[in-house]
Amino acid sequence: MAQTTSSRPSVQRRHPPGERPDRPGRGPNDWLGGWRTLFVASALLAGSFIALRLYQQVFAWYNEAGLDAASPAFKKYWFTLFVGEVLLAGAITVGWWAWLVVSGRKLVDVPTSRREEIRRIAVFWGLVGATCVVLYFMASFFPNQDGVWHQTAVRDTALTPSHIVMFFWAFPLGITMTVGTYLYGRTRLPAVYGPDKGFPWSFFLLIAASVTEMMQVAMNEWGHSLWITEEIFAAPFHWPFVTYGWLASGIFALWAETLGRMLQIEEEMDADEPALETAPA
Amino acid sequence: MSTATTAARAPDDRTAALRALLDKRYRFIDRKWDIVFWVTAAFVVAAAVDITKLLFAGDWDFWTDWKDRQWWPIVTPFAVIIIPSALQYIQWLAWRMPTGATYTALCLAAASWIGRTMNWSWFGGFPINFVWPVSIIAAAIWLDWVLLKTKSFVLTSLIGGFGFALIMWFANATTMAPFLQAVDWMGLPITVADLQGIEYVRSQTPEYLRMIEHGSLRTFLGETQYVSLAFGGTLAIAGYWLGQFIGRMLAIWPIGRFIKRI
Repeated sequence: MAQTTSSRPSVQRRHPPGERPDRPGRGPNDWLGGWRTLFVASALLAGSFIALRLYQQVFAWYNEAGLDAASPAFKKYWFTLFVGEVLLAGAITVGWWAWLVVSGRKLVDVPTSRREEIRRIAVFWGLVGATCVVLYFMASFFPNQDGVWHQTAVRDTALTPSHIVMFFWAFPLGITMTVGTYLYGRTRLPAVYGPDKGFPWSFFLLIAASVTEMMQVAMNEWGHSLWITEEIFAAPFHWPFVTYGWLASGIFALWAETLGRMLQIEEEMDADEPALETAPA
Repeated sequence: MSTATTAARAPDDRTAALRALLDKRYRFIDRKWDIVFWVTAAFVVAAAVDITKLLFAGDWDFWTDWKDRQWWPIVTPFAVIIIPSALQYIQWLAWRMPTGATYTALCLAAASWIGRTMNWSWFGGFPINFVWPVSIIAAAIWLDWVLLKTKSFVLTSLIGGFGFALIMWFANATTMAPFLQAVDWMGLPITVADLQGIEYVRSQTPEYLRMIEHGSLRTFLGETQYVSLAFGGTLAIAGYWLGQFIGRMLAIWPIGRFIKRI
């Protein structure tokens, strides 16, 4: 992408409701401004995954609590974690989605400056980036961990230590992030994802990826209860999990759609300030 | 070659318009957007390519004793060319950069080595020289190079796809070679890879020695590898077009399209 104009004279702006005043280093596309969401969300999500991976190391293998689903230790360390994860993921999801909708409704009729729209696109890209982090842990990191667990320890429950973390924390958060990012776009970026445009195919594919992944968990457990498939990890009834990775390709359309809007904003600002349109040769 | 074709041509209108777009001084669009895109996209690309490999060809990639002559050269190229093909289409369409396959290969390398180290080795306790992942970097560079030279997805699928399977095998044969050395085990000649498989019992090893290769192909002696590579090359061509479908229909086609009624 081309260079930006950092020495541009600042313009006095009013800040209507829903907009944030500019502070030094906290502008729409500064690392500590609009991009802060990317770092905070990614760190929180990745931190939770790494913490749970360390928990698995200690409480699945080292004290052997994860080896026998009928043992009191399993219930103490793993079933408790399962219940806690489901409740926490549910609370986070409901709370965040509700906040996005309720606060977004207040912004519907509020005019938005171009700077604020750029900031929101940066936040949107931050949410998309955090979603990418979740997708990586869902589809690469934890499947590796699940694979090695089930290639070495024979399962005696659907709620194995690897499943409790992958299926009931990482997978639900995939739905949380994809739907939440859509709600952010719908309420904060009406020029791109406003209700008058319909439902974007890009989000349809991305949300379908995370939802079908969760549905495939049910089929997976049913299949494992029917066949002893530990011999082959690439078993045919595992294949539907792959569609999630493919449907997630819709995420590229999100980047393209919002980039198109940014170019529109730049053109609109050029119309207001035509002298700044081109760089010297 | 005529003078008209060798002389420097003046840029056409399309080129000039793109150049102006590139040289334009923007208020908000700067390198940060590039950095965020390329770094965060690496996570989702790694996810897509690794889950495809794990669930289509995972067993042949997990262990050295599964990296055989019969199935490994067939299932693995098919599985690992799909997402590189999709990214090749996306990056060629967006930037005319023949880098999509190599970018994906690097993402896969990072994801695979993190997965094998932190999970298969640190969590499962297997030595890393038993569970090392296949590398597709050399094959991906080949795939991008063919696209660069031919500027054709059809030719890239035929030439690049077939060569992808061959190069993938040859590039990893060097890593695999030490594990194919013969050892004497209880009076029987087996390979080092087989010995690893016996030493490290898995739920997929119900007998002492799992025979990965089956059928009369094993009686073909030196031809086994070539028969498998030829079939693997043709399957890689099919996998390439599966990836093209993903890139064209699931990544690019949805841009700016909306469902009006649900």
